[in-house]
Amino acid sequence: MTDPGTKRSVLMIQLGGLYGLWLREVRRSFRDRGQLIGGISRPILWVVILGIGLNPYFRGEVFGKINFVVPFTYLQFIFPAVIALNILFTSVQSAVSVIWDREFGFLREVLVSPLSRGTILLGKVLGGATVAVMHGCLVLLLAKFADVNLTWMKVLEALGLMAMLAFALTSLGVVIANHIRSFQGFGIFSNAVILPLYFTSSSIFPLDPALSQEQTRVVYPEWLVIMVEWNPLTYAIDALRGALIGYNQFDPHLGILIMGVSGVVLFALALFEFRRI
Amino acid sequence: MTSALNSSPAIRLDEVSKRYGRTLALDKVSLKVGEQQMFALLGPNGAGKTTLMHILSTLLRPDAGKAFVVGVDVMRKPLQARRRLGIVFQEPSLDDRLSVHENLDLHGLIFGVPRTLRRQRIEELLALVELTDWADKIVRTLSSGMKRRLEIARAFIHDSEILLLDEPTAGLDPQTRDRIWHYIRRLQTERAITVLVTTHYIEEVENCDQVCIIDNGKVLADGAPKALKRQFGQQLLRIVPKTDADHTEIVTRYAGRLSRADDTEIILTSDDTFSETFLAENGARIRALSIEVPSLESVFLTLTGRDIRDKEIGAREQTKAFGKIGGEHTR
Repeated sequence: MTDPGTKRSVLMIQLGGLYGLWLREVRRSFRDRGQLIGGISRPILWVVILGIGLNPYFRGEVFGKINFVVPFTYLQFIFPAVIALNILFTSVQSAVSVIWDREFGFLREVLVSPLSRGTILLGKVLGGATVAVMHGCLVLLLAKFADVNLTWMKVLEALGLMAMLAFALTSLGVVIANHIRSFQGFGIFSNAVILPLYFTSSSIFPLDPALSQEQTRVVYPEWLVIMVEWNPLTYAIDALRGALIGYNQFDPHLGILIMGVSGVVLFALALFEFRRI
Repeated sequence: MTSALNSSPAIRLDEVSKRYGRTLALDKVSLKVGEQQMFALLGPNGAGKTTLMHILSTLLRPDAGKAFVVGVDVMRKPLQARRRLGIVFQEPSLDDRLSVHENLDLHGLIFGVPRTLRRQRIEELLALVELTDWADKIVRTLSSGMKRRLEIARAFIHDSEILLLDEPTAGLDPQTRDRIWHYIRRLQTERAITVLVTTHYIEEVENCDQVCIIDNGKVLADGAPKALKRQFGQQLLRIVPKTDADHTEIVTRYAGRLSRADDTEIILTSDDTFSETFLAENGARIRALSIEVPSLESVFLTLTGRDIRDKEIGAREQTKAFGKIGGEHTR
């Protein structure tokens, strides 16, 4: 049989398939209205309502003199965190489609294709991460409201960090989805993961940078400080904050390192489990 | 039609066994399917047909035995085997959020079909399965018959040499079933491929080159439909007795010939002379009687001791229940 299809190199087939699976995720996301509405309404709620509402209270009083705890408004402070929140929700949610694919048969179509399991998973995760970054960009559109001045350099730097974050979180979502047999279960579990992760990531309140380690533990209960410091998302948001408003609570390289390592580890874990299917 | 059996077979199974927990789904099944044949696997649901398909499609590893497609060991070289297979599963495996065209295009990408060839094939195949006007519709909005046609078209986007069809016509109306067979036959002749199809519609099997009857994971018979009819076919008498007393009378009297009996019906094995004498002796006891000449249905009945349609619903529910507890269909 004359067969130009099978003469193509194996690598080309894997890359073509990777592109196909990536494109599928992106196409699907544009058709999923619920996800789009969530992606738009969430940042509006957090930035416009919570941000503007809490803005006047974001200050400290030292010897009768009113100072901002950090040299930024609350809106500016939570702006990068809302980007992370949108990425967090979208990444983990797009991993739900792993369950869809498994339950509604599409997974089988891919499993009997010449693609390796690694390619299939990578296509899925890259697709989900792309969608998540796009949802993160929706928040960037609100920069004017939050008094954040964006330059191209800042945006590019932020996009790189957002992509790393989205990749790690989508892999996390797939790991979760692998262990869950029903949609309801996933909803409960993902909320149990997403919200605590977000709230303890120094996203909506800073640990006062003016205080030393010991003083911080006096002002805040120790368990909270530990949770914030052990939460990997803290460092991701911190890096994003550094890129967008030039404010870091920790070493800015720490964020990149932690996102990179957890991205690789979570993807490897997801792949390990996916190979057993 | 069946000249290729001597050359290297398109599909070969050597003593393949598979066990799910305590159920033995396949028990040392050996099969050979010649090139360019239309090969039917016939059996009630739960017979092991789908398991066999999943093993050939590399989704499932058998516990023992070997399976080859076009000479490629499906366990050792699954990627190579998959490139040669076109598969239509029992349950739809389309992405129902993508359009008809997007589904075909995605399949082409995944199977490494170059862009121009991909376009050309999509156009041809859409025309063949009469879905050209539906190309931009989202798959979710299609009827189940259309989805099945789309899946068949999809299996031909790449250069498949063997087509595996798992119950391609199950649950469809007769008209759609005829059309689907029409498409399959046309594609088979155009592409010169081998088709392995499972079904529990006996009338669909009559036109196949070879038939293999399996039940409870065992191959019961294997051969051309005519040969099977000659070998296992049995003339049958289907008798509806008038009263319960007549029922008991007939059952006890012809216990030796009894093939099956339930509340309303008795089936006796028969031949021409027996039919005549039976009618002469028992004419007053029966309400209805039909003589069935050897058919694949009677072959099946002889081999398995039951009608093929008997367990249809029960087995389907079993399969569903099995899926719910996380069995093969959900993995």
